[in-house]
Amino acid sequence: MIIHSIFFYIFSLIAIFSSIMVIASRNTVHSVFFLILDFITISCLFIMIGAEFIGMIMLIVYVGAVAVLFLFVVMMLNVSQQKNKWLSGEKNSNHIPVGLLISIVIFFELIIVAGGWKYKPELLKNFYSIGVDLSTTNTHEIGKVLYTDYIHLFQLSGMILLVAMIGAIVLTFRQREGIKRQSYFKQISRERKEGVELTDPKYNEGVKIDA
Amino acid sequence: MLEITLGHYLILAATIFTIGVVGIFLNRKNIIVILMSIELMLLAVNINLVSFSIYLNDLTGQIFAIFILTVAAAEAAIGLAIIVIYYRNSGTIRVQEINKLKG
Amino acid sequence: MEFEYLIIFLPLIGSIISGFFGKFLGSRNSEILTSLLVSISSILSFLIFYKVFNESYTNNLDVLTWINSGTFNVNWSIKIDALSSVMLVVVTLVSSIVHIYSIGYMSHDPHKQRFMSYLSLFTFSMLMLVTSDNFLQLFFGWEGVGLCSYFLIGFWFKKESANAAAIKAFVVNRVGDFGFALGIFLIFYLFGTVNYTEVFELIPQSLEKELSFLGINFNAINLVCILLFIGAMGKSAQIFLHTWLPDAMEGPTPVSALIHAATMVTAGVFLVVRCSPIYEYSPLALNIITIVGMSTAFFAATVALAQDDIKKIIAYSTCSQLGYMFFAAGVGAYNVAMFHLFTHAFFKALLFLGSGSVIHSFKDEQNINLMGGVWKKLPYTWVLMIIGTLALTGFPFLSGFYSKDAIIEFAYLRGNTAGYFAAGIGIFTALLTSIYSWRLLFKTFHGNYNNKKLNISSMHESPMVMIIPLIILAIGAIFSGFLFKDLFIGIESSSNFWKNSIFFLEPLSHDHPPSWFVLLTPILVILSIPIAYYIFIKNIKISNNIVNGNLPLYNFLKNKWYFDELYDYLFVNPSKKIGLYFWKKIDSRFIDRFGPDGISALIKNISLLAVKFQNGFIYHYAFVMLLGFSALLTFLILK
Repeated sequence: MIIHSIFFYIFSLIAIFSSIMVIASRNTVHSVFFLILDFITISCLFIMIGAEFIGMIMLIVYVGAVAVLFLFVVMMLNVSQQKNKWLSGEKNSNHIPVGLLISIVIFFELIIVAGGWKYKPELLKNFYSIGVDLSTTNTHEIGKVLYTDYIHLFQLSGMILLVAMIGAIVLTFRQREGIKRQSYFKQISRERKEGVELTDPKYNEGVKIDA
Repeated sequence: MLEITLGHYLILAATIFTIGVVGIFLNRKNIIVILMSIELMLLAVNINLVSFSIYLNDLTGQIFAIFILTVAAAEAAIGLAIIVIYYRNSGTIRVQEINKLKG
Repeated sequence: MEFEYLIIFLPLIGSIISGFFGKFLGSRNSEILTSLLVSISSILSFLIFYKVFNESYTNNLDVLTWINSGTFNVNWSIKIDALSSVMLVVVTLVSSIVHIYSIGYMSHDPHKQRFMSYLSLFTFSMLMLVTSDNFLQLFFGWEGVGLCSYFLIGFWFKKESANAAAIKAFVVNRVGDFGFALGIFLIFYLFGTVNYTEVFELIPQSLEKELSFLGINFNAINLVCILLFIGAMGKSAQIFLHTWLPDAMEGPTPVSALIHAATMVTAGVFLVVRCSPIYEYSPLALNIITIVGMSTAFFAATVALAQDDIKKIIAYSTCSQLGYMFFAAGVGAYNVAMFHLFTHAFFKALLFLGSGSVIHSFKDEQNINLMGGVWKKLPYTWVLMIIGTLALTGFPFLSGFYSKDAIIEFAYLRGNTAGYFAAGIGIFTALLTSIYSWRLLFKTFHGNYNNKKLNISSMHESPMVMIIPLIILAIGAIFSGFLFKDLFIGIESSSNFWKNSIFFLEPLSHDHPPSWFVLLTPILVILSIPIAYYIFIKNIKISNNIVNGNLPLYNFLKNKWYFDELYDYLFVNPSKKIGLYFWKKIDSRFIDRFGPDGISALIKNISLLAVKFQNGFIYHYAFVMLLGFSALLTFLILK
């Protein structure tokens, strides 16, 4: 148990630190890096606790895809470095104290939920130990349930991803001018009379072929 | 303190969630930070779900965490696409200059 | 028979068609249509009149149920008896003549259809008034004629003075109507019904009833009669409520002929005669009527002496003759009052329309000092005006002679000092009437030609469409007195003709006053013709000397005994000041500040604050969402 708690504290401290740095970094690329660190830490936490499938999936999807996507966009959009203007008294900064207050309120409310378990003893019987079952892997267990009971949701999530992909492409697609493209339909449906043109070029002159 | 209970994980999740919330309206940099804060909030929710699932020996939490993962990825993709287009149109992604909804 | 329906509703149909569809019909067609419909009404009412005095025909048709609430039942009805049949004849005949006359008089006016529509609507209202069998329909007709009077006086609404005159007529009438309405309420309160027959039956049983109002005890019947008479005072322009009549001359002349000579102003007399069963039991009210009538006759005659506008002179003459009619009613001789109403309609309408013809020829000049010397140029008008004047003054054997002298005789026959005094005033007023009427005639047609703007050779007679109606009226003016005197005021008239429509508590005396008395008035009247000619035409210096020697008196008369100025001081200016005060201080400072203006300013300020919410920054929106979320969460946790 000691190991468990030591590792838990290490991981959680790193996670909290990096999430603070995500929003407090001056450089946006640094923010993305800290986000990646955050994801990795939490993933390790998951693996430690016994949900290794989730941990691995998080690593692959979040870190490998989403965070890299963030990095791409940050690089593409040429975000400039900005000084942090929190405390320099800008026009819109009069709601920072209120904002901090509200966020502290939310934090404590979330904690109350956690503390409230203390008043319901019958739910607490399982809160102290983790029953690690080593006969089947977490992946196996998930697979047994995901493809049988939750198959509809699984398909739906696939469709969500499809729609997201199509949406992203449709949103950002733009035709570039002046690029030659092939249209196989036009190629196949070309007839002889528009495909071949007999000309009689003069001596020392060429022909002009349009695109 | 030595015994890690469910409460510790919930506190951790609450902390990360609050930090994500703070990041939405307390940033002065650019919109991408807002998206990253949203990812942080989703992450906190994931921690919550998985820890509940482990401590209560019920796999539903992990299944739900998988789906949240999926949706978060999709939403991040779309959000970034929108930011790209907005940047194409207005040339900036600084938060103070995005006020086209002004009424 | 359905004649009654046709009589009443044909003018209404004509009015609606001409009013709403006049544009499509064209002016000539709508004129012809309305005149035709009213003329048919007139012929039918002659038929009804014939039936009434031949076969004693009476009828009481219920057309529609108006109010049926518990024990309060009122119907739209048409009641035909001797009284209403006389009024039917008078109203429809004069109305049809005026319609035809207006075809010629208003030929240059662009709004002929509207005029004809209003005239027919007025006729309908007046017919509703005279054929009602309950006070409520009477009041409906009363208000209707007041409304049409407003329309017609202010017909040329672009003229400022016409608008003011129309409003003045309506408002002064309103004062009278207030008393009238109170009278009707009182009748309902006392008797529980407003139908004539039921009320009249219940009167003899309620003679001793008393009401207490503001701590004073009144005899109920007296109070009812006085209140009803106040209404009659307003409508018939008796003294104190007469100020609207001269100003009503702003309307076109046919309007003055119809409304202010023959019909609307006689509605008051009709009311008093119709309510004779009530008035006979209230000697106090009858005395009041007599005094008011007499005073009005005298007052109006004196004022008419000093007026210069041809229509105003005739208007005051109407006022004076109405005083005579009320005076007759006040001494109990209701049938004489109706007789005078009947003959007066003819010659007064003749005078008005004739003066209209004169005005038309003088291209809208109305000041008699700027006329004169045109009797050769306007022969028809001249002769007709002479006939009218003779009838008005009571020249022997014309109609006015029979009716007016009957009134004076009845006053004398009263016997008491009040009666003698009244008869004396009556004779003096007749003399004044004669003087001012001949003054008008001579100044208009004789003497030197005084008009500065027009050349005398451009004077020409009015078209036949205007002269022929005048001829019809002249025939009536000459012969109606002689033909109908036995019917109306003869010895057996109340049993032969009037029967139940007029109630006499004691039969009228049928003695004759001494012969010197009977001859006095006609002699004075005949003598006044050459005297007037001499004073006003031959030797104008005499009239000028009289005027200059008595300048205060002259001004007093010319300014109508300063009634308008008095009312201005007493009522109009204080009302204006009160209204101004209420408007400035209370309305705009107080009510508006807390009401509309205050609320609108408040809303504006709040919305300015609310606008700051939408500044377009997304994180601001997210922050607000967060605030709401945390509030909700707090609420749920604390619950």
